[in-house]
Formats: sequence, C-alpha cells, structure tokens
Amino acid sequence: MAKYYTGRDGRLLIDGLEQVKVTNWSLTGSLEVLETTTLSDAQRSYTPGVQEFSGTAGLLYYNDAANRNDAATALKKIFKTSGVASTDTVDMRLRLVEGSTNHDVRLTAYITSVTYGASVGEVSSAQISFQGTGALTEASL
Amino acid sequence: MTAFPTIAPTSRSFEGGDWPIKRFVSQSGSEVRILYGDRRTGHTLSLGYQNIDDETVEQFFQHYYEQKGTYGTFAFNTIESTVGQGWEGEADFFNAGAAVQYRYSGPPSVQQVRPGISNITLNFVAVGVS
Repeated sequence: MAKYYTGRDGRLLIDGLEQVKVTNWSLTGSLEVLETTTLSDAQRSYTPGVQEFSGTAGLLYYNDAANRNDAATALKKIFKTSGVASTDTVDMRLRLVEGSTNHDVRLTAYITSVTYGASVGEVSSAQISFQGTGALTEASL
Repeated sequence: MTAFPTIAPTSRSFEGGDWPIKRFVSQSGSEVRILYGDRRTGHTLSLGYQNIDDETVEQFFQHYYEQKGTYGTFAFNTIESTVGQGWEGEADFFNAGAAVQYRYSGPPSVQQVRPGISNITLNFVAVGVS
C-alpha cells in the first residue's frame, strides 16, 4: 500500500522505553572517504573510511500521571553532579511505524548536548543531541 | 629481490642535483669555478603514496630492508611503471643518470589512517657509483 510517513508515524525509544511527548527527531549518517587518486589518474577515486551517526530529538518537559518525565531523564545524562562515564551510553531506536511493522534504526549513543528552558507563552521542552558510537545495531528501514 | 611496487605515487617532488663544482671568490668579487667531475649527483626524489593497503606498505619496507636501509644503491628499472607514473614527458626523466644510482636518504615513514589503510613517504638521493 502506498504510504507517506509523517510525524504521526514517528516514535523514539531510549533504552527500550518509548518516549512520550516527542516533538521531533532526526538522524544523520555520514561516511568519510579517503582519496586514492594518483598522479596518473584523470578522475578522483576514493575508498570508504569510517562511518558516523548522530542526531537530535525534541521532547516536551512533561510529567505523566505516574510522574514519569522522559525529558528529565534525558537531561540527567548531562546535568549530573558526577562526571559522565564510558558506560553512560543509551540505546537509541528511531522508528517509523506502518501498522504493525516498525521501520527502525537502532544505535548505541552518548547524549552529547541538552538544552531546555522556559518561555512565556510556550511549553517547556528539551532538545537533545546524540552521537552514535560503534556500528548500527539495527537498520530495518 | 623484492621489486619496487608498481603503483602510481600520489605526490612526487624532484630536485635536479648538481655537478661537483668548487667555487673560489676573490676579494674583488670575481668568481672562478672548477668542475671536478662529469656526473650530476645529489638529485633528490620524494614520493608519497596515500591510502594504500598494508600489503603494499610491506613491499615498500621490504625493498628498503633489502637495500640495507640507506646503504645500498639501486636503479628503478621500470621508471614508467613505478616512480614515474603520471609523468607525460620522457620516461627516463627520473633516471639517476650514467654511473649514478639512487639510495634511500632515510627510512620510509608510514602513517596508518584506518584499519588496513596507510600513507607512506619515501625519500631518495642520487649518488655516484663506481
């Protein structure tokens, strides 16, 4: 069935937990290429180098009935009194839903920056950026 | 004997050397030069190979080891398929010349940039041989 995907189909899971009140997410993948052009070549040539994955997400600062606040949980990855350890990774799963089918990209990442605030006339929200470490653990686009 | 790898360099620089000349300058500034030989020596050749595989790096080092480092002299037998690739002039432009051969002026320098991929730099100098 033909289908366009919209924000209604988007989901974000952190450490296996579907986040509530997500306003946006984005993921960027890139590949570094190493040049192999030599003096006798007329066209440039390349060989693949290392890949990189990073992204951003926005979450409303929202307490649900059970006092769960996903934005605060993400913010605490950076806003903490102790330093960040190498084990402070998160399992990020960025999902587009099609009925009972999930199109996922999953990676292990560090939360690298968080921003939140309060403004008159606006709902408080948190913006987080994350940097993937290692290879993707799932890519079922 | 390991042949010099037949891949094209990524970069190449060459300086032409000189003939053995002794120069005398008088107090008046006039200059006398005496030519002591008929062979041009001291030309330098630097080659850079970027993003090459480990096997090729090992071939370069094997060639260096077989020359006993900077001790041995040698000629590039097939200039057009080795150090001269990409040069569209005369194939023997980079030949050291009659009774002159290259030797390594220092050990090869390798920089690994990712697993299995490295950059290597080689430097040669031409010296007269008997």
